[in-house]
Amino acid sequence: MLFAWMLIIAFLAFIACMFEDLESDIGSQSNPNSQIQLAPEMGYIHRYFNKAISGEGLSYALSCTISGTIAMLILLQLESVGPKAAILAIPVGAAVGSLVHMVRSSVCHVGREAAHKRFEQPIYLDVLYGHLLPIATHNFLAVICITAIAYIQSNLGILSGVAGASNPFPLPLLCLIWGLTVGAIGSSTGDIHYGTERAFQDKPFGEGRRVVYHGQICRYGACGVRTSKDVAAFCAKYGGPATGLAFGLIVLFENWRTVIGMTLGGVAGPGWNPSLAAAWGIGIGIVIAVVLVILARTIEKWARNKYGPFVGE
Amino acid sequence: MIETLLLVLVCIIIGGLLSSLAVHLMPVGGAPAAMSTATGIATGCVMLMTGAAVTGLFTASTVASFWVTKPNVILVALSGAVGSMLMMGFTMFVGNLIYIFGAGIVPCSGRVAVDPITKESQTEYKTPRTDGHGVPTASFVSGILGGFSGGFGGALIYVVLVSDSYAHFSVATAGIVAMGIFIANAIIAAYNIGGTIEGFHDPKFKARIRTGLTCSLIVSVLCGVIIVIAMLTGTLAGGVM
Repeated sequence: MLFAWMLIIAFLAFIACMFEDLESDIGSQSNPNSQIQLAPEMGYIHRYFNKAISGEGLSYALSCTISGTIAMLILLQLESVGPKAAILAIPVGAAVGSLVHMVRSSVCHVGREAAHKRFEQPIYLDVLYGHLLPIATHNFLAVICITAIAYIQSNLGILSGVAGASNPFPLPLLCLIWGLTVGAIGSSTGDIHYGTERAFQDKPFGEGRRVVYHGQICRYGACGVRTSKDVAAFCAKYGGPATGLAFGLIVLFENWRTVIGMTLGGVAGPGWNPSLAAAWGIGIGIVIAVVLVILARTIEKWARNKYGPFVGE
Repeated sequence: MIETLLLVLVCIIIGGLLSSLAVHLMPVGGAPAAMSTATGIATGCVMLMTGAAVTGLFTASTVASFWVTKPNVILVALSGAVGSMLMMGFTMFVGNLIYIFGAGIVPCSGRVAVDPITKESQTEYKTPRTDGHGVPTASFVSGILGGFSGGFGGALIYVVLVSDSYAHFSVATAGIVAMGIFIANAIIAAYNIGGTIEGFHDPKFKARIRTGLTCSLIVSVLCGVIIVIAMLTGTLAGGVM
């Protein structure tokens, strides 16, 4: 049962991080935002949504913590109903978190675009209205998954029937932790597909974007002028799922090594040995890290052989 | 009592110093790395390191709850270290998957001509007018070591704060205080780095690590003193949360 819940948590983590990355792409948040911000200065008037509320980690930590706090308050109010209260508490909490995120997005976009008036960048109202709903819905899916993960982890002992499996942190703190992590991973991995590839699709493929290209973003799509919604459609094919995979694997292996350690340590039974359980968890984690280094080296070698040295000027 | 206070202070200082060292070891490319204009992970130092440290903190909190009383400090800190290390490992690995298969880019260093671990040449793989791209092996290993160091530091602070043998804060208070001390050190280290860094092989690392650790020592001592005052006055004993 413990392993089944662990897989549910990993699946939710995959969904959460994928939608987190796509939401940041729709709003041009985080690192590629520097290019959207720079474009009008370079004479590239665009129809991208431009929000950089803060780093993705902090932005998502706030959304998820609001969600977790509201969910916890509802759970406390409906304590007599039992665990079924979570069916109401988690979506309501996530909805409030997303609404607050949407408000921050709208204010941020308008403020940033207004500052670009001197470069003749207009504030397109259809861009503002058209992107707020996708931002809120993508954010909602990410936040609801994170809140659900935090709820499961803080009640894992009761849900799985294994005493001591619950995390001791309260629900809002777990939401803060996973919100920070999901934002940090979305910012570190998914942004590459948007910043390197989608934002500069009219530049040569297979090379780093030279400093001279900065700000010269690709503004036209296969049909008409490109908006940030087109970015999400593109990144959903690779960058988004890959980002989800990163967070899903982290959550899966973090929980898996702990659960394996607990199993080998006697799972709070009469022969329960906490030191043995912790030591097994550490040992398995180190083995996974070594495997990761080997895998990273293998794909680097493959890329060097397959693509070869840089050709061109 | 004085021995306990001193031990808590020393653990907080060690944890703070390890956190600062961790940030300096991170291969951080910042915003330029998202455009493959710089080597490293495409985000800021503080964001990345905090994400890694809280992942470690999550595992450390679970492992600390294995013991009814007096958790084993070293094992809990090591559990946190491995948690952060795995977070960094998976993030860098998937980041490289996107660089290689999503953008067709070969990971290479922009600061050194030869990778100090694989001994392979980097210069001819680098795009002109960039500062390198992707996460090459030396940076990957540096990131793994950084994750281990930061996770150990964060989890060490957490376990001495939560343990009933030491500060005896509540679980939530200890978690938030540990995060706070960690982030303070990470921000100071990020200011010291001032932009991007590739890892231990980057000339910037040698040039700036001493300043970074000195600043971290001052910050950690200040944080430690506040914790000791809180312990002496009983302000946070048993926890405010």
